[in-house]
Amino acid sequence: MSLLSVENLRVTFPSDHGPVDVVKGLSFELGRERLGIVGESGSGKSMTGRAVMGLIPPPGQVTADRLDFDGTDLRHLSKTDMRKMRGARMSMVLQDPKFSLNPVIRIGEQIEEAMAVHGAARATARRQRMMEALRAVRIDDPERVARLFPHELSGGMGQRVMIAMMVVLEPALMIADEPTSALDVSVRGQVLESLDDLVRRRGMGLMLISHDLNMVARWCDRILVMFKGKIVEEVGSGALYQAQHPYTRGLVASLPRIDEDRARLPVLDRDAL
Amino acid sequence: MIRVQDLSVKFGDTTVLHDVSFDVAAGESFALVGESGSGKSTILKALSGQVKPHQGSVQIGTAPDALTNRLALARQVQMVFQDPYGSLHPRRSVDDTLSEPLAIHRLPNRDQRVLDMLDAVGLPRRFRFRLPHELSGGQRQRVAIARALMLDPPVLLLDEPTSALDVSVQAEILNLLKSLRAEKQLTFLLVTHDLPVVSFLCDRLAILRAGRIVEVADVARLRTGAFTSEYGQELFQSSVE
Repeated sequence: MSLLSVENLRVTFPSDHGPVDVVKGLSFELGRERLGIVGESGSGKSMTGRAVMGLIPPPGQVTADRLDFDGTDLRHLSKTDMRKMRGARMSMVLQDPKFSLNPVIRIGEQIEEAMAVHGAARATARRQRMMEALRAVRIDDPERVARLFPHELSGGMGQRVMIAMMVVLEPALMIADEPTSALDVSVRGQVLESLDDLVRRRGMGLMLISHDLNMVARWCDRILVMFKGKIVEEVGSGALYQAQHPYTRGLVASLPRIDEDRARLPVLDRDAL
Repeated sequence: MIRVQDLSVKFGDTTVLHDVSFDVAAGESFALVGESGSGKSTILKALSGQVKPHQGSVQIGTAPDALTNRLALARQVQMVFQDPYGSLHPRRSVDDTLSEPLAIHRLPNRDQRVLDMLDAVGLPRRFRFRLPHELSGGQRQRVAIARALMLDPPVLLLDEPTSALDVSVQAEILNLLKSLRAEKQLTFLLVTHDLPVVSFLCDRLAILRAGRIVEVADVARLRTGAFTSEYGQELFQSSVE
């Protein structure tokens, strides 16, 4: 059974020229797998992730024919119930750990706080689970790291701490919105490996939202390509370079290659799409 | 055109650059690659006079006193930054941004120069009196490039000029930089962590690690992955994976 079923998802914002749909009737299923969503700025990929999490701020409006997560209909959940769901059953990792961590609270405390909010366990048990979570994202000396403040961490380490905070409650679904774009190339791999690990070992569903085609192709099982609020194509991860839709092909072609010999890069003709 | 000799830079007690030396010929496009903290941006800062060398020297063009004469330096070298959202003044129109260097350097024909530059970077003339927030990321980066070229400097320092942009917009900006370089015979010094961008835009590259140059190579060696240093190979591998 699929973990998340979405049918005809729409996200609408009012504007001076009447309501504007930023996500236009999206349908997809997510099992316990790694699903990539790629697209450029403004394609609606982040809004899709936020809509599932119930994080579209007013005046934005979310409608769907179906929005089921693990047997629960998310459309009719009260705010309180949704809050219980978020964090515990589904969580989200955002782009930049510098802005997502509280700068004046020690790492260990912040992770324990996440558990306390969801009423998990006693203090000693919480501490133990916090250490385990840090170890699970491949932080070798959790004792030391738990005592640090966010500014004492590198970017890659910060992002792994964020992931540890998200997985400590063992959510069934993780939405990662550009989890590595604020990070150095050399540590991107480590962060993605920790996420990958959790999908495999705990059977978590992962939705990886990114503009980086190559990264998504490498780390996901399936890829949805979004353009102007719609899914234009679904491709298997190995088949990105055989993609059919002109938009996907245009994106792939406009990437410079390491053995580049073209004098000019082909530019996407948006009007032709 | 650019000569960096035995450059060392210290911040407090920490040495961030150790005896870095390289030359960039006129009209050449040279890349500095490495991870964050490897010192690549510090080299740009030393060249643009934002940090003082602890030891060694940097020289751009022929003017020997360029680093003490800021106006002369500005005519020799300009910089394009990573984030077009941060590098443009939010309350100043495109016209203000592009006219300011002309006013400071008391150059004539400002009106015509601004219009010519808009054409050169492929921005429609109707954008002239818009504010940055009315432009897309790619258009803003075009304004930043236009501003850098207003004084006709022979050298451009490019600090991750496309890494904040979408892939299709990145292609447009890379094409623009390449054609501007050919048209105006510019010398580029590009800082990036993106090896494919180097392959497209540069002739040679230096690989930096922890404040030292570990290898200087032709772009041909990058294309075939034939770096001689171990670290160069490591970077190449993490990039093709």
